[in-house]
Amino acid sequence: MRLKRTGFGWLLLSPTLLLLGLFGVFPFLYVVWVSFHEWNPFAANPEKVFNWANNYRALVFDRGFLASLGVTLAFVFFAVSSQVILGYLLAQAFMRDFPGKAFFRTIHTLPLIMAPIIVGSVWKLMTTPSIGIIPYLLRNTVGFDLNIGTSALAAFVITVIMDVWHWTPLVTLSLIAALVSLPPDPFEQAQIDGADRWQIFRHITLPMIAPALIATVFIRLMDAMRTVDEVLMLTGGGPGSATRFLGVHIFKEVFPRTNYGYGSAVSVIVLYLTIVVCWLLYVGLIAPRTTRR
Amino acid sequence: MSEERKPGFLPIETNWFDRLFIAVVLWVALSLFWLRFLEPLGLSVWIAAAISVVLGVWIVRRG
Amino acid sequence: MRSRKTPWLSVALWSLLSFVTLFPIYWMFVISMKAPVELFSTPDILLRSLDWSNYVEVLESPTLRGYMVNSLVISSGNAVLVTALGFLACYALTRYDLPGKESIFFWTITNRMAPPAVFLLPLFLLLTQVYRIGDFSLLDTRIGMILVYCTFNLPFAIWTLRPTLDAIPKELDEAALVDGASAWRVIWDVILPLARPGLAVTLILTWVFAWNEYLLAATLTNFTARTLTTGLSEYVTTTGTAWGIMAAISVFTLIPALIVFSLVQRHIVTGLTFGAVKG
Repeated sequence: MRLKRTGFGWLLLSPTLLLLGLFGVFPFLYVVWVSFHEWNPFAANPEKVFNWANNYRALVFDRGFLASLGVTLAFVFFAVSSQVILGYLLAQAFMRDFPGKAFFRTIHTLPLIMAPIIVGSVWKLMTTPSIGIIPYLLRNTVGFDLNIGTSALAAFVITVIMDVWHWTPLVTLSLIAALVSLPPDPFEQAQIDGADRWQIFRHITLPMIAPALIATVFIRLMDAMRTVDEVLMLTGGGPGSATRFLGVHIFKEVFPRTNYGYGSAVSVIVLYLTIVVCWLLYVGLIAPRTTRR
Repeated sequence: MSEERKPGFLPIETNWFDRLFIAVVLWVALSLFWLRFLEPLGLSVWIAAAISVVLGVWIVRRG
Repeated sequence: MRSRKTPWLSVALWSLLSFVTLFPIYWMFVISMKAPVELFSTPDILLRSLDWSNYVEVLESPTLRGYMVNSLVISSGNAVLVTALGFLACYALTRYDLPGKESIFFWTITNRMAPPAVFLLPLFLLLTQVYRIGDFSLLDTRIGMILVYCTFNLPFAIWTLRPTLDAIPKELDEAALVDGASAWRVIWDVILPLARPGLAVTLILTWVFAWNEYLLAATLTNFTARTLTTGLSEYVTTTGTAWGIMAAISVFTLIPALIVFSLVQRHIVTGLTFGAVKG
């Protein structure tokens, strides 16, 4: 009876395992396998030829890839840290009572449901010179010429601002949820003991909201690392390689060339970086919680 | 088998799969570093592989 | 405390914030409502006239209409498939004594975390070369896209359904089984009705994720199964000056998301953090 029930459980699970196997695990194994081959169907020899780690050897010296990696890390750092700081301040500002809270909260949630590519298109319409309102206002008020098509710095900063616009609400709302659920007693006690604001934040608030904060930061890290759609739409990775993040690099530089072996090596390394972060999430977050349960 | 847990030198509680995973992650990191900086000096990447295997066995057995 | 003055400061702050949130979206509507001639004069914040020609042009284009149908078919097909399979899988994982089920739970989420850009190349190669029967390949087919989207939507469905299924007491299934109901009947008659709200949220959110997807659709389709999001990027690259059309397509892509937003607003944050945060 018990054995039969377990078998039925596996039966229920099997379509899921099959699909994730076919479109998740097998592509992963396949890309690792291809990454150790020389394979270009349009080269003199269109067959796959095993070439040890030559693709990786080329990869670690590939200026384009390394530049892309550096830009990605800078983007992730600036975007996620501003989102966390801004998100925390906004969440704190939300804790006071004021009229229209539910309404403001609803508006704040809106960007989260928007397709990344629409966010890219919205910001392209905002920032393209000749059509966007931001360059127009900047030129006429402070005389600054904002052009994301030619200035690398401007393009990078606008991508960060776009990501902050898109994803700060996620940080804010999850921190609001965490702050709302805090018990009031420790705070009252600390105020009686004469603790200042920074001490209260450092020793009471921070430890208590840590689980929600870590979860949100890791989810944001993971998502920021794979940002592609909105950047493709906004800048197309340019100018130069200023906003060519890893995903954009694969889409624009690696995929269109038919050098499959090398492209696979790039994909594997990008996945490697993501898996390491993902595993840290598991170790720091999910594992302690499930063992405690 | 995956449930056997013993105190190792790693700062977190791990099972054999976690340790194998850590070993592979370190292998990849070391190999890439080696290809970039040490292989041009004439040291074969197999040395990195050998170090990683020794390190990996140590982590899996003792971690 | 300063309770007399602070509320208005908060209201001002949050009003400003709402303006920052809403203005870019409003600007997109403004651009979509302008005739090409108006666009190249100085940018104007106000809508002086309503010009629907961009929308008419989008709706009259047979290509874009085809893309819309594809988007609808693919996201609906994927949402239904993923919710059904995710429900069964999550039921199995929460009720049955399967060895290593926590590992399976975690493994499913890794599929969701993987960057789609990494899967472009292997999926393209597999769809063109390996997953094919005779001359039929999954590349550039709706069914192919429905299956490919399972990679990131199926783990999402499993994780969002988990709290719902955990909340249904196991005694209910056991009582029904003792009464002689078959395992399928238990799922269909006992669990399904109770899980309905959770299933609805899952269905809606997975639908919108599939609808919003761009990267895989752009690389794994050529013509027959292209979606609206890829249509948007086509307009930008081929005719870089058709801003009005681009804004109009964006609005069309945004509308379903807005509808969804009004339906499941409270669940979005919980969903996006895989249940780590109870919104």
